[in-house]
Amino acid sequence: MKKTNRILTILMFIFLYIPMVVLIVASFNTGKDITKFEGFTLHQYAELFRDEDLLRLLGNSVLIALLSTGISVAFGTVAAVGIHSLKPKMRKVVMSLTNIPMTNPDIVTGVSLSLLFVFVGSGLLGQRESLNFWTLLIAHVTFGLPYVILNVMPKLQQMDGSLTDAAMDLGCTPVQAFFKVILYEILPGIVSGGIMTFTMSLDDFVISYFVTGSDFVTLPVEIYTYTKKPIQNKVYAMFTLLFLLIFVLMVVMNLLQIRAGRKRETMRSVSRGRMIFRRVIAGAVAVCLLVGCCALIFSNKQEKITLNVKNWGMNMADGSDGTLDIVKAFEEKYPHIEVNMSYYESNEALYSQLNNGGITVDVIIPSDYMIDRMIQSNMLLELNFDNIENFRYVDEQFKNPAYDPENKYSVPYTWGTLGILYNTKYVDEADLTGWELLWNEKYAGKILMIDNSRDAFGIAQYLLGYSINTTDKTELDACAQKLAEQKPLVQQYVMDQIYTIMENEEAWIAPYYAGDCMLMMEENEDLAFYLPQEQGFNLFTDAMCIPTCCKEKEAAELFINFLTDPEISGANMDYICYASPISAAREHMEAYLAESEIVYPSEDVLEKGTAYAYLSEEITRYVEGLYQSATKLNTFG
Amino acid sequence: MRKNKSVLLSTPYILWMLVFTLIPLGVVGYYALTDPETGGFTLSNIWELGKYLPVLGQSVLYSLASALICLILGYPVAYYIAHRGPIVQKILYMLVMLPMCMSFLLRTLAWVGLLQDTGIINSFLQAIGIGKLQLIRTPGAVILGMVYNYLPYMILPLYATLVKLDHRLIEAAEDLGCTPAKTFVKVILPLSVPGIFSGITMVFVPAVSTFYISQKLGGTDTVLIGDLIERLFKQGDNPNLGAALSLVLMALVFVCTGIMSRFGGEEEGGVIV
Repeated sequence: MKKTNRILTILMFIFLYIPMVVLIVASFNTGKDITKFEGFTLHQYAELFRDEDLLRLLGNSVLIALLSTGISVAFGTVAAVGIHSLKPKMRKVVMSLTNIPMTNPDIVTGVSLSLLFVFVGSGLLGQRESLNFWTLLIAHVTFGLPYVILNVMPKLQQMDGSLTDAAMDLGCTPVQAFFKVILYEILPGIVSGGIMTFTMSLDDFVISYFVTGSDFVTLPVEIYTYTKKPIQNKVYAMFTLLFLLIFVLMVVMNLLQIRAGRKRETMRSVSRGRMIFRRVIAGAVAVCLLVGCCALIFSNKQEKITLNVKNWGMNMADGSDGTLDIVKAFEEKYPHIEVNMSYYESNEALYSQLNNGGITVDVIIPSDYMIDRMIQSNMLLELNFDNIENFRYVDEQFKNPAYDPENKYSVPYTWGTLGILYNTKYVDEADLTGWELLWNEKYAGKILMIDNSRDAFGIAQYLLGYSINTTDKTELDACAQKLAEQKPLVQQYVMDQIYTIMENEEAWIAPYYAGDCMLMMEENEDLAFYLPQEQGFNLFTDAMCIPTCCKEKEAAELFINFLTDPEISGANMDYICYASPISAAREHMEAYLAESEIVYPSEDVLEKGTAYAYLSEEITRYVEGLYQSATKLNTFG
Repeated sequence: MRKNKSVLLSTPYILWMLVFTLIPLGVVGYYALTDPETGGFTLSNIWELGKYLPVLGQSVLYSLASALICLILGYPVAYYIAHRGPIVQKILYMLVMLPMCMSFLLRTLAWVGLLQDTGIINSFLQAIGIGKLQLIRTPGAVILGMVYNYLPYMILPLYATLVKLDHRLIEAAEDLGCTPAKTFVKVILPLSVPGIFSGITMVFVPAVSTFYISQKLGGTDTVLIGDLIERLFKQGDNPNLGAALSLVLMALVFVCTGIMSRFGGEEEGGVIV
C-alpha cells in the first residue's frame, strides 16, 4: 500500500513536471519549434532583456498583481475583522456573498464584470473608454478579496477573543489592539491569502481577457490574443526565470516558517524573530502598494499622445528580418505620438470588439464588406483628406470603391486574394481541381478550415456555384450543409494559428489569404499556393478607417497618411507580402514580391475574382448562426 | 461600543461585493433578456438555448470525468504527503503548488507540443518503431489537459483533510482487528469525504467552463460551452446570447456546488501555503 502510494506520488510528480521541463528546455533551444531541440543557447535570455515590449507587458502584469494584492490584503483584513464581529446570521450571508466569485466560473465573472463596466461606463455615464486600467484593477481586487477573507477568517475564529480584551484593559485603543495583538495572530492567514491573490492575479487570463481595454494589456492576455507567430523562445525564457524566482521565494518562505515554528516551541513570548517577521510582512505589503503607485504615477507622467491601432496580426512591418520598423519610423517622425498596437483575427472579431464598446481605438484596417457594414452602423468617422495628402498616390481603381462609394471613410491599405495553401510533400498535384480539395477525404484530418463565417461561406458558395453575395436563404442553408459535411474531415478551424500548424506540417491543406501564405512559404519551402480560378475566388481590399470610438483623430490621420506614402507602403509590403493599392509602391518593393504572381496576379486571373459585399444585418446574423450550427454545434444535417 | 464599531468595518466590503459581484450578475440577466439588434425585451435568447444543450452535456461529461480521474490520481498522493514528516510534507506540498506558478497558457501549449502529430511523443514513438498515434484533438486530450491543469486543486483540499485526521482513530480500528483495507474503507475514507467533495468542486468548476484547453487540445468535435461563450462575445457579436449561456453555466455550477457542499459539510477556508 505504502509502496504503491510512493510510486504513484513519484509518477504524479513526473506528470506535473513534464510540461515544465518542455518549456524550460525550449528556453535554451536555438530552433524555433518547441518540439525539436536543435542546440543549446543562452541567447534568448539576453534577447529577453532587450525586448521592451515584452518587459512592458510583464511590468503591466506585475503592477496589477502588486496593486491588487496590496489592496485586497489591506481591504480584506479590515473587512474580515468587521465580518468576524457580525452576528452569526449576518456573517453567514456575507460569507456566501464572498463565495460567489470563488465558485462562479472565471468566464462568467469576466463576462459579468465587462458587461457591467460597459453598461455603466458607456451606457449610463457616456464614457468612451470604460474598459481601462482601473476596471482591470477592480476586477482583480474583486477576485482577490475572497482569498484574503477566506484565509483570515479561520485565524480570527481560532484567536482567543480575551486577548483583545486584555490588550484594551491594559490601555490599548482598539486600533492599537488591532496592530499589537490581532494582526499578529492572523498574520499567517494574511500572508497565505496575499500569496494566493498575487499568484492568481499574475497568472489570470480569463477574467482579464474580458475586462481589459486596449490601453493596458497584461502578459497572459497578449500571449492568448497574439497567436500568429509561434511563441518566441524568449517568452519561455521569461517564464523560466519567473518560475525560478517563485521557487526560491517559496523555499525561503518555508525555511522562515520552519524556523519560526521551532522558535515558537521554545519561547512563548514575543520574540525578536517574530517581530522581524511581522515587520517584514508589513513592509512587503507597503512596498507592494508603494511600488505600484510609483509605477502608476510614473507611467502616467509622459505627455505623449497614445495612438491605439488595431490591426490584423503580422500585418505591418516591425523591423524583423531586415525590414523597416514602421511604427518606429513613424514615432521618430512624430515624436509626440506613441503607437499602441493591438490585434484582431477576423473582421467579425473586430466588429464585435468595437460593438461591445468600452475601448478606444483610433485606427482600424478592416476589409471591404466590413467597412460597408460599419459605415451603415455609424461606426466610422469621416476622414479629413487634407491631412492625408498621400491619398493622391492611390491608384484610381481603388478610389471610390463599392464599399465606400464617395470615398469618405477609408484609405486602402492592401489588397489580395483568398486561396489554398498546401504542402507539396503530401498533396498530389492532380487533386488541385478546385475548392473541393478542402472536401477531399484522402486528406481527412489534415485539412484546416478558415474560422470566420464570411470566408467559410464564400468558399462553399464558390464550390456550389452560388453568388458570394447571395441573400437567398435556401442557398445559404445549402452552404451550411456543405460546411457541415466538411466538418469530419477538418482538423481544426483556425485563423492565425494556421502559421504554426502549416509550418510544422501538422496539417497539409488550408484556405488563407495570399500574403500570409507567402509568409508561411518563406518559412517552409514545401508549401505552395493554389488559386482555384475556374470556380472563382475572393478578391479583397483592406482599408484604413477611423472608428467613432477614436480619441486622437488628427494623429490617426497622420498615421494613415504616413502609411500611404509610396516608399513606406512598399517597405511595408516587403514584410507583409500583400499587394499595395499604390502602383508607385511596387517600385519600392523587393523584386521577387513585385513580380510574384501570387502577390500581384495577372489581369486575366484577377477578372475571375469577386469581392464580398455587405448584405444586411439580418443576413449577417443568419449566416453567423448557420456557421455556428454547422461547425461548432453539430445541429446541422 | 467596540463591537459596534468593528461591525462597521465590514460595510465597505459588503458594498464592494454587492456592486462588483451581485449587480454584474443582474446586468448579465438584463443582457440575456434583450435583443441584440433592437435592445428591446425578448425571450428569444432563452429559446435558443436548447440548441446548446448537447455542448453543455459534453462539457459536464468531460469535466466530471476529469474530476474523477483527479480524485483517483490525487487521493493516494495526498495520502502519501499527509503521512510524511512535517518538513517533507512542506516540501512536497510546495512541489504540488509550484507548477501552478507557471503560466497556465504556456503549460497547455507545452502539452500541444507533446501531443501533436509532429510532436515530441509521436516523434519518439516513431523512432522506436511503434508509429504515430492520434493523441491530440481527441476527447482524451481535452480531459488530460483538464486533469493536468487542475490536479493540484484536488490534492490540496484532500491533503488538508487527511493531515487533520486523528491518527488514533486508525490505531483504534487496527487494534479492533481491521485489516488495512478495511480501516481505509471504514475509517479513513468516510472521514475524508469533505476533502473529496471540495476537491471535486474545485476541479469541476474551472474544467466545465474552460475554453483554452479545448481550443488548444481539442478537435472539431470537442467544443465546450466556454468556447461558445467566448466566441459569442469576442467574434459572433452576440453578447446577449452569450449572456444567456453564461447564466446557464452559472446555474449549473451553483447547483453542482450546492449538492457537493451538502455532502461536503461546512468545511471552508484557506488552504495553507
